Amino acid sequence: MLPCTGRIDESLLLKAFENGADGVMVVGCLEGDCHYVSGNIRARARVKRVYEILDKIKIGPDRIRMFNLSAGEGSKFAAYANEFVGKIRELGPSPINLARGGQVHAASQKETT
Amino acid sequence: MKGNLDGFSGSTEHPTAAVLVIGGGISGMQSALDLANAGIKVYLVESSPAIGGKMAQLDKTFPTNDCSMCIVSPKLVEVGRHRNIDLFTHSEVKGLTGEPGHFTATVVRHARYVDIKACTGCGLCEIVCPVTQISHFPALPAEGEKKTRARAKEKSIIKGPGLPRPVTSHKWTFSVETTACGMCGGCHKACLHGAVSWEKKQVAVIDQEKCTGCGACFLACPDKFKAIAIADAPDLDKSLGAAVQARSQLLKKEFAGTEQKDCIRCGLCAVTCDKVMNIGALKMVEEGIEAGVDICQVCGACASVCPVNFLSIDQVTNKTPRPLLNSFNEGLNGRKPINIHYPQAVPRVPVIDEKSCVRLNTGACGICGSLCGVGAIHYDHREEETEIAIGSVIFSPGIEVFDAGRRGEFGYGLYKNVVTSIEFERLLSASGPTSGTVSRPGDSKHPKKIAWIQCVGSRDHSCDRDYCSSVCCMYATKEAFIAREHDASIEPTIFYIDMRSFGKNFDNYVTRAKDHKVRFIRAMVSRIFEDPVTGDLELRYVDGSGERQAETFDLVVLSVGIQVPQKAKELAGKLEIDLDRYGFVVTDGYQPLATSRPGIFVSGAVKGPKDIPETVCEASAAAEAASASLAAARGSLITAEALPPERQILPGEELRIGVFICHCGTNIASVVDVEKVVEYAKTLPGVAYAEHPLYTCSQDSQERMREIITEHRLNRVVVSACSPTTHEPLFMSTLRQAGLNKYFFDMANIRDQCSWVHPDDPGLATEKSKRLTRMAVANATAGEPLQEMEFTVDSKLLVVGGGLAGMTAALEAARQGFGVYLVEREPQLGGQLLHLQRSNDGRRFVDFLADLKEKVLHNDKIRVFTSSEVVEQSGFVGSFETEIVMPTGGTRTLKHGAILVATGAEEYRPEIHGLGWLDTVMTQTDLEAELEKEPKPQWQKLRVAMLQCAGSRDAEHLPYCSRICCNQAVKNGRRMKTLYPEARIDVLYRDMRCYGLSELDYAAARREGVNFIRYDPEENPVTITAMESGIDISVIDPSIRTEVRLKPDILVLSTGMKPRDAEELASMLRVPRNDAGFFIEAHAKLRPVDLPSEGLYMAGTAHGPKSSSETIVQAQAAVARAVTLLSRKSMKMSGVVSVVDPTNCAVCLTCVRACPYGVPFINDQHSAEINPALCQGCGICVAECPAKTIHLGRYDDRNIRAKIESYSGT
Repeated sequence: MLPCTGRIDESLLLKAFENGADGVMVVGCLEGDCHYVSGNIRARARVKRVYEILDKIKIGPDRIRMFNLSAGEGSKFAAYANEFVGKIRELGPSPINLARGGQVHAASQKETT
Repeated sequence: MKGNLDGFSGSTEHPTAAVLVIGGGISGMQSALDLANAGIKVYLVESSPAIGGKMAQLDKTFPTNDCSMCIVSPKLVEVGRHRNIDLFTHSEVKGLTGEPGHFTATVVRHARYVDIKACTGCGLCEIVCPVTQISHFPALPAEGEKKTRARAKEKSIIKGPGLPRPVTSHKWTFSVETTACGMCGGCHKACLHGAVSWEKKQVAVIDQEKCTGCGACFLACPDKFKAIAIADAPDLDKSLGAAVQARSQLLKKEFAGTEQKDCIRCGLCAVTCDKVMNIGALKMVEEGIEAGVDICQVCGACASVCPVNFLSIDQVTNKTPRPLLNSFNEGLNGRKPINIHYPQAVPRVPVIDEKSCVRLNTGACGICGSLCGVGAIHYDHREEETEIAIGSVIFSPGIEVFDAGRRGEFGYGLYKNVVTSIEFERLLSASGPTSGTVSRPGDSKHPKKIAWIQCVGSRDHSCDRDYCSSVCCMYATKEAFIAREHDASIEPTIFYIDMRSFGKNFDNYVTRAKDHKVRFIRAMVSRIFEDPVTGDLELRYVDGSGERQAETFDLVVLSVGIQVPQKAKELAGKLEIDLDRYGFVVTDGYQPLATSRPGIFVSGAVKGPKDIPETVCEASAAAEAASASLAAARGSLITAEALPPERQILPGEELRIGVFICHCGTNIASVVDVEKVVEYAKTLPGVAYAEHPLYTCSQDSQERMREIITEHRLNRVVVSACSPTTHEPLFMSTLRQAGLNKYFFDMANIRDQCSWVHPDDPGLATEKSKRLTRMAVANATAGEPLQEMEFTVDSKLLVVGGGLAGMTAALEAARQGFGVYLVEREPQLGGQLLHLQRSNDGRRFVDFLADLKEKVLHNDKIRVFTSSEVVEQSGFVGSFETEIVMPTGGTRTLKHGAILVATGAEEYRPEIHGLGWLDTVMTQTDLEAELEKEPKPQWQKLRVAMLQCAGSRDAEHLPYCSRICCNQAVKNGRRMKTLYPEARIDVLYRDMRCYGLSELDYAAARREGVNFIRYDPEENPVTITAMESGIDISVIDPSIRTEVRLKPDILVLSTGMKPRDAEELASMLRVPRNDAGFFIEAHAKLRPVDLPSEGLYMAGTAHGPKSSSETIVQAQAAVARAVTLLSRKSMKMSGVVSVVDPTNCAVCLTCVRACPYGVPFINDQHSAEINPALCQGCGICVAECPAKTIHLGRYDDRNIRAKIESYSGT
């Protein structure tokens, strides 16, 4: 849990992959409704950069995605989580985990809000 | 009317610095918080079991579509935890005696039967309570008579499709106690499985091989022997009822998803009816269950314990069952007699309903009491009366919705698919009865076509609701909008009379709704007919062209108006305050918060219909009005928390983490194996102690946590329990009370994120709990003590703008005991009010203004600077410095703790229709001035045309609605009619937006002969030619559908209001304004007078167009908000703020640009610096800093890295 998605940066997102995450979802406030004015817009840009990096290093860009939700949308959150986990299951373990061979977390994910 | 402002200010010596707030809705909560945060003790009395009021029932709020519960719940928690607010829920005020400053109130706490202090809100009682219906309890025996059970005369056998199929899973073991056996053979006869062998004068013996565990023998054994013993029944040590529930739960799990239609002869229904409810109406027979339908008390317990839904309540009784309905969900679903008002309720403590609880009515059952883990249930509670001493009272009991059944033509109550708007609100709500799925109550079908009918119980003389309810146009638009968000195939239609979207950004919202395919039809629906087969509804109405129309809808929502509840009227009677004929509290426009009884103030919709921000604003204002006369005693009745000194953690001190894994009753422990998680936690590095409390948050657990911290010399604490949003502050304060820095803490949410979402996979839920706990432990390990900086607060207030808002604010702040600087750009005080003549009730503003000015100028706490302007501004909350230029050209620096912006607005004067060059064309304000001059004989038969929205709601002029013009036209029209009865007045309007009680003035104007003609700029435009030779107007009058030509002598334009130039001020203060130039509030709903930066407030028309009375309310509200700051000697800032480590700062300015609040700056040491008093703690700069040299306590890279690294560890 973070005060704002504006707090995360690329290195932390990549750190999650380095530490065995097969996918990372970043969940922030609805755009235009950021509690801290513009943090989620900045987060979106950072997620996009990580997306490009993941693409370039062949880990797969679709392993990261940003979602926007209001605090009252629990069921939507669940739907997003299920959808994303489904997607990651399709993609399978991340190449980092495959390369390491050992500990593979099927469709593990990290949530930040 | 004698108001409070002059009535008793300063007349009481040593007043009681406490206020009684009646009503715990958003109004009462806001008043309570503003008072308590300003050093005044608060007693908050709420009649329902929890605070929150109507707002808690709403799904979303207009015009921002914010989730209502999300924004109100932090307030609920704050009120619930505030040490200077004493909460009386499920309570009522019985009487009030005494004088302003020294009242005594009698408050009755109704028996709740649950101890608020002991209860942890786990909700187990509600789950285990088997009662679902309004029972017909057996008559109590007359005095001296022995209680006997009724015997059934009428019996009915309930059968399934096949014969019962006895199950033996989770079976109880029955055995005969030889010493107690009466050898009667009852058990032998009762057993349907031949498992009991018995011979005359012999003790019965149960063959365990044959026994299915149905308990027929147990029920047959006469009470005088009680010879059948039960074993192997979980929870039997608590009570038989508890054991029944335990087995029922296990069997329900086993049969979940199976298509079992036959009785499984578990015997739980019969055992419950006989031994738990003490009725004995059910008996197991060969074919199924035999029910004594005449003696059934219709409690519903048998059906709720039945694991396979074999029994339904209507089969076991000859009476019509009436389910207990959940009032919070507007009766759309059921509830139990023991019930938590709503999931986020504060206090989250159930109440037992005296009318429906079996235990309270017959002495039977008592399951909840036997199962409550903390012993919080007390069936012997009685109501308690308390006397409290207070200085003033705020009356804010709130409103209820109109009884839609009174408009018979709409069939509410008869047609299942006709619902009220508040019911629809619950249907939309994610936490409502349908979990946010829009479905028809009649058949659960998803409706496609939904109609809203406006003004049901508003603007309606026939049911004595002549007033406008103010909120319905907007809430209907919102509901239509949100319904489409839930299901894009929904086609919403709103039938309305006038679209009264008069508030800030409301018109934009309606436009957005139109863009989102919400259809608006201006028509009054005359009747609804239901198709009895499909449940669809046909609406009949007459359209704009006069044609009769009929259209079929799947669901109809009645936009019910609001009204004062009878109970509130009765309470007002006890308090001796005057009400109008509709029950609204009567107030004076100049003292809008004061009731007829000095010392009692009013706020919220009980004073007239209003929306949430206006209510919040009034609530703050009422807090200000109620506390001004108590200011001398401020702080005398509040208590501050005494804390031990903080223990210094030495560098290199051994890590000693304490981990608490919460059961949350069964909330967590029924899914997650908490003991395993504890064992696992003990293996984590640094963990010195771990345990699993039943309820970590309960008072005794918190006590114990404090002891454990000391005893085990813990230096970090981790709690794995529920949501940090609600519980983290509690645990952190416990740490602090134990002498630990409160930031040596982290929390994992294993309830919401594990047990609640993965109930079907306990194994994985346990693994996930371990992982979340591991991450929290890692984060706590990385934790650092954070200091909360303390700043001194300058107690003076700077008010910018000396109009009505600024002067009122200055005077009120002075009454509150604070010094004020009042800066006005013009040579004289008064602002826009100088140009206006009379208030809506006909009093002259000039007298009022003179009095107000006099008071301001002669108040020794107020320093007035006229012809002066703010030129420079610096500092931060509590300690601002502002430079002003005075008429001499000299400057002066003012030091103050808060700023109140009241720069106002003025009349818009567009060059249209000859305004400015024709004498015959004027604005409403010009006309008002003309009407004050000597009577003009030539005006006796004057023809006047008034054009509404002349330059308002017009993209080329003012795009917004100016809110006041309709009322101003009505006021001037009526005044004209009074002075010149023969004059002809035609008002050309788009929507008459005479909201709230001003609808009554509008209706009066129509009665008095003012003529109203509706136009529409697109569909029915007005053609106006205004020349020196005369004015010519033509328009089609929709009411007669004929072109009307008017040749008025004068044309009066309702031009609206535009904000005064405040661009420079706004940029100096770094506060935003909207496109029109009005200041933007910190939160459109709940912080309507706060500006987004701390310590800055606003009032009056600088915020948006409003009436004089509304301006006074806002000024008082802004003062109340400022006083919560100014009344403190010092203030503490959150420890979670960004700090720049100058060593690596490259002065690249990235942080300066990234901060949404403009806080970072480059200091004279050539490094970026962040003022901790201004930092909001979002961490955006931390993420952006390329040198990674900005740190945010608690959310620093080290913390997040620690969590990420521990995530994959084992």
